[in-house]
Amino acid sequence: MRLTVNGIERGIESAPLTPLLYVLREELGITSPKAGCQQGGCGACTVLVDGEARRACLLAVAAVDGAEITTVEGLGAPEALSAIQTAFHEHYAAQCGFCTSGMLIAAHAYLEHGGSGERESIQETLSGHVCRCTGYVKIIDAVAAAAGGEITSRQKWLPQTGEESPVEVPGAPA
Amino acid sequence: MKAVGARLPRYDGVAHVTGRTTFVDDVRVPGTLWVKALRSPAHNADIKRLDTSKAEAMEGVHAIITWQDVPLLEYGHLSALGIPADEPLLAKDEVRYKGQPIAVVAAEDETKAQLAVEAIELDLEEKPALFDVRKAFDSDAPVVHQWGNWYTHFEDEMDRRQIRKGSIQEAFDKADVIVQGVYRPAAIEHVPLETQVCQVVPEADGRLTIYSCTQALYFSMGVVAAHLQVPLNRLKFVGGTVGGGFGGKVDTATETMCSLLALKSGKPIKWRWTREEEFLCSSTRAPWHMEIADAVTKDGWILGRKMLTLHDSGAYSRFSPYGLTKHSFHHTGAYTIPNLEFDGYVVYTNRVPTTAMRGFGVTSVSFAVETHMNRIAKELGLDPFEIRLKNANRIGDTSPNGIVYTDPSTVPTILAVADELGHELPADYRTMSSEKREGELLPEHLVGQLGNPEDH
Ligand code: FES
Ligand code: FES
Repeated sequence: MRLTVNGIERGIESAPLTPLLYVLREELGITSPKAGCQQGGCGACTVLVDGEARRACLLAVAAVDGAEITTVEGLGAPEALSAIQTAFHEHYAAQCGFCTSGMLIAAHAYLEHGGSGERESIQETLSGHVCRCTGYVKIIDAVAAAAGGEITSRQKWLPQTGEESPVEVPGAPA
Repeated sequence: MKAVGARLPRYDGVAHVTGRTTFVDDVRVPGTLWVKALRSPAHNADIKRLDTSKAEAMEGVHAIITWQDVPLLEYGHLSALGIPADEPLLAKDEVRYKGQPIAVVAAEDETKAQLAVEAIELDLEEKPALFDVRKAFDSDAPVVHQWGNWYTHFEDEMDRRQIRKGSIQEAFDKADVIVQGVYRPAAIEHVPLETQVCQVVPEADGRLTIYSCTQALYFSMGVVAAHLQVPLNRLKFVGGTVGGGFGGKVDTATETMCSLLALKSGKPIKWRWTREEEFLCSSTRAPWHMEIADAVTKDGWILGRKMLTLHDSGAYSRFSPYGLTKHSFHHTGAYTIPNLEFDGYVVYTNRVPTTAMRGFGVTSVSFAVETHMNRIAKELGLDPFEIRLKNANRIGDTSPNGIVYTDPSTVPTILAVADELGHELPADYRTMSSEKREGELLPEHLVGQLGNPEDH
């Protein structure tokens, strides 16, 4: 079997019925999809299969033989975040970060399919994705901002107290 | 001070949104063995026979541990504070809750480990179980814990957390009305998206590297070192990246057993609980039973409170004595009541042990107190905001355990809520502040109760 994962073609040795999630995490070492429940209930394992958001824990790898798989690693890198990644970062949509990969993939697919950015439609898209930390509001804010093309700029991080220079935080995007 | 008032990016935000955060499950160590546990299928039972020999001989199985492999079997989560231990790491003669670990297996993959678990021979003799804290005190209730059905080791070996303040008798004599209520919030599972998980690597120098999802790294380190009876410098804990905890990852759930398996097998070990295990076997927020009787005047002053709390600790103590203590200190909520009689018990049942969860011990009592405030208002036909503002903590008031409030925030908080809801208040309530009581706000029953904030 073969998969194209984040643009790179890979041969697959796992048994045909191995869940795609295991193939990605254990065979290929791609760890952004998470094993939150391994029974289709939480969305943390969501990846793009030929452009559609699918739950990797429920897919036998043989069923997606030859497919193109995209994980969060393939959406953008720290120095070149995609719009939805930037929006999540700037709107504090990731708290512990464990649900974030699945949320990002679902949101990315929503935007790619021309999602309107209305809160109800975002809620519907993310309805099978569990987040225990954020309470969802910030996640929906982030997706709405990305859909509306108004991703908050770095400007927003300037101190609101009259200070001139931005606060330097290690690891923050420039 | 540049950061105060600024909107700072999360230091770990970019790693989160690029999928590069390394959670414990993402640590990759070649040659790792996977763990599965034999857990009690019964709520309360004696262990008659436990035989792992068939399982040990199975293909792909590298190590199995039972209670016999644990150098110090019982070490309490609060042992370091002098609170006696009551929970074995692995069940020895009996099991006290469904899901309690009895043996753990390390094998080449999860399937082999699970097959070996199923090959362990276990004979149990079931005993009647106790699930309802209200029945724990009945003479015919099954006794489910070595200390009886409730914790008996508070200071001076008291069997309850007790608070006495002022004269409860006088308060009840003077009251126009007694308002009573019973409040019973249920258990809540934390449901972190990341289930309990641990990776242990035995190093060439004899140390163990322990990748842990604990919320309390040094605490877990102490617990593992105690069970293993090794000095702390044998353990290198790697933590700080937690996929949601909410209090449920304060208990040291997996690290000790994985460490023992790593020492026994000489191999790296990983244990990742299934979602089902997380729901059925991980600790939860406790169910609480709270009874309140308040002595109240018809214009809404609370003169005294009698309260009984039964804190369902599940099968073992863990942090419950501490949680109940916090609970007792907060049993008047954000309000000042001068005469108190509080009795709280940590009660044992055959439920999964309960633990910390966001506002440990306090959220339960806040729920009870706020609901009770509404009940008082309703019974007296008074405005629930006014009754809260009247009894609100003010500078100089004292808490149930005698702390003098120097900066209480009840009044501004309630006013803010009233604003937010558009709730109209009479002018004398509208203009209230947290300042020291005087005039009408210093009624007779509070005279002489005030402390001096300057002394604190
Ligand atoms: S791990 Fe696939 S949906 Fe939860
Ligand atoms: S950020 Fe923790 S589960 Fe969503």
